[in-house]
Amino acid sequence: MGNLKLAFFLAYKAILKGSRWTLALIILVMSLSFANLILTPSIMSGVTQAINKEQINTLFGHIIIDPPEGSLFLNDTGQILQKISGEAAIAGVAPHINSTAMFEYIPGNTSLKEEKTGNWNVIGIDPEKETRVTTIAQSMISGSYLEPGDTDKIVLGVEIAGGEQAESKDFLTLGGVKIGDSITLVFPTGTERQYKVKGIFKARGGNANNLAFVNRPELASALNLPSDQDATSQILIRLHNSSQEQQVISKLGTLLTGPQVRSWSDYGGGIGNIVSSFGVVASLIGGIGLLVAGVVMFIVIYINVANRRRQIGILRAIGINRKVVMGSYLLQALLYGISGIIIGGLIFGYIIKPIFDSHPIDLPIGLVSLAIEPGNIRNAVIGLIFASVLAGIFPVLNITRHSIIRAIWGN
Amino acid sequence: MIKVHNLNKIYGKGPTAVHALKDINLEIRTGEFIAIMGRSGSGKSTLLHLLGLLDAPTSGEIYIDNQNVLKLTAEEQAKFRLNRLGYVFQEFSLISELTLLENVYIPAICLGRENHFKQRATAILETVGLGPRIRHYPHEVSGGEQQRAAIARALINSPGILFADEPTANLDATSSRIILDLFKKLNQESGQTIVMVTHEPEDEKYVDRVIWLKDGMIEHK
Repeated sequence: MGNLKLAFFLAYKAILKGSRWTLALIILVMSLSFANLILTPSIMSGVTQAINKEQINTLFGHIIIDPPEGSLFLNDTGQILQKISGEAAIAGVAPHINSTAMFEYIPGNTSLKEEKTGNWNVIGIDPEKETRVTTIAQSMISGSYLEPGDTDKIVLGVEIAGGEQAESKDFLTLGGVKIGDSITLVFPTGTERQYKVKGIFKARGGNANNLAFVNRPELASALNLPSDQDATSQILIRLHNSSQEQQVISKLGTLLTGPQVRSWSDYGGGIGNIVSSFGVVASLIGGIGLLVAGVVMFIVIYINVANRRRQIGILRAIGINRKVVMGSYLLQALLYGISGIIIGGLIFGYIIKPIFDSHPIDLPIGLVSLAIEPGNIRNAVIGLIFASVLAGIFPVLNITRHSIIRAIWGN
Repeated sequence: MIKVHNLNKIYGKGPTAVHALKDINLEIRTGEFIAIMGRSGSGKSTLLHLLGLLDAPTSGEIYIDNQNVLKLTAEEQAKFRLNRLGYVFQEFSLISELTLLENVYIPAICLGRENHFKQRATAILETVGLGPRIRHYPHEVSGGEQQRAAIARALINSPGILFADEPTANLDATSSRIILDLFKKLNQESGQTIVMVTHEPEDEKYVDRVIWLKDGMIEHK
């Protein structure tokens, strides 16, 4: 008990009467290290969240109802929609008919009159329902979105239309389709239809920009689907609150026998790998950040301890146990670590986070803000405490390992 | 009583090794006031450090009150130093962040009787003439006063043996006399064994006996 009390007493006096500048420097290093430890994974989580958000907004919604195993289509879509309409957690449903088609475009304003072709996915939608699930309608860069009565109109993703705003090389697109141009779609059924380009969109989620949209009855007709079948390939569902996803999936699972109810994340295969890669990269950067923080802390604390080498020797000479001396420096290191966590947390919460909130990073995948996850904070706290304890204890261990005389006289 | 048998201390290895102490044999009786004297490099400080368990010899044995103290573990030696031995170093041996009073009673905190020792520390500081200075920090007092505070610290746990390594080396004549008078008084009134390293010939008059060292060996005069 006496030893513990003395360790506390020595630590308290060293902090109280020691150099203010050294104390401020150590705590500053700890604070910035802590803020950095949270910042890196928060940016990575922010990127992940932005990717996920755009996937939900442009491609999948939160939940997807797929046809039963072995079937290509969901039949009696109206009945399905009616069944799920009572679910309060659902903000919107959007039936889709999915198909591929060969797109043909003869540019009208070039001297070559060279035909441009390519295969892309075309989706039949109910425009009014669609706007309650996806945000494509808000991503138009020219023209306008589909309306329910449009039969010979098509809306193209920018990577199909081509032109200056497309990311893809010109030969991978239709080469610069304009609003009002006509394009011909040849469907797998052999049906050939001509559409006027009504709008071109550019969504942040890059994958959606390779899609084209027509009205659902129009696509059903092009695919020769009987109108009484009321067929759809998928129904996308958007929720008011994404946290209810699993709950709604299980509820719909019991409500609908036959159709398969899936989370959007089940479709994020490729994206899932990218997101996992971000996690690995974030861990690596976080690990390196922790290592750098640990080394900096070690150097600062080592210099501080080395300057007290003689005092450590004298304390030991007068009979103070080595463990007491180490304990006092361990307590100091813990105080540095805890102060760093508190001040670093305040710097992060009141300076860095608000800056990112008001000025998110504008990346092609979306607007990236900081996403603070409890796990990241926990890891940073544990990491910093661990690093400060190691950085605090090793220099003292090194000094107390030598003979007392060597500590006092430094030879 | 301190008994030393065939004590050797070699610093370094190989051709650059320095044989600082060579087969030292000596006895110091309880209550003796001993001076270890000799030229610079004769090994007097090394001998004091070994006797005070601040360093380990290369070979040999040290018995304090019939206990072979070199057989004790590092932790046991620390406890032994705390309870049985007191040290006064040459200079700058106080902890700068502690007041003189705190410097004196910190060894006692380990023994868990802080309040009792606070009173005792105050009393000892008054004895050594530092009553009005107990709340001062080391940098606020003179070298002589620091050294007297260091003596007070060495006495706090009532050690049987007091080791002093050139305690007056950096002091003026007046302060040196005060320190040596204090040692003499402690030795005569409390029966404390005092082993002091000094290079001042005039200090001889304060001590019962002088152990002369030359080239790491005891020189019999």
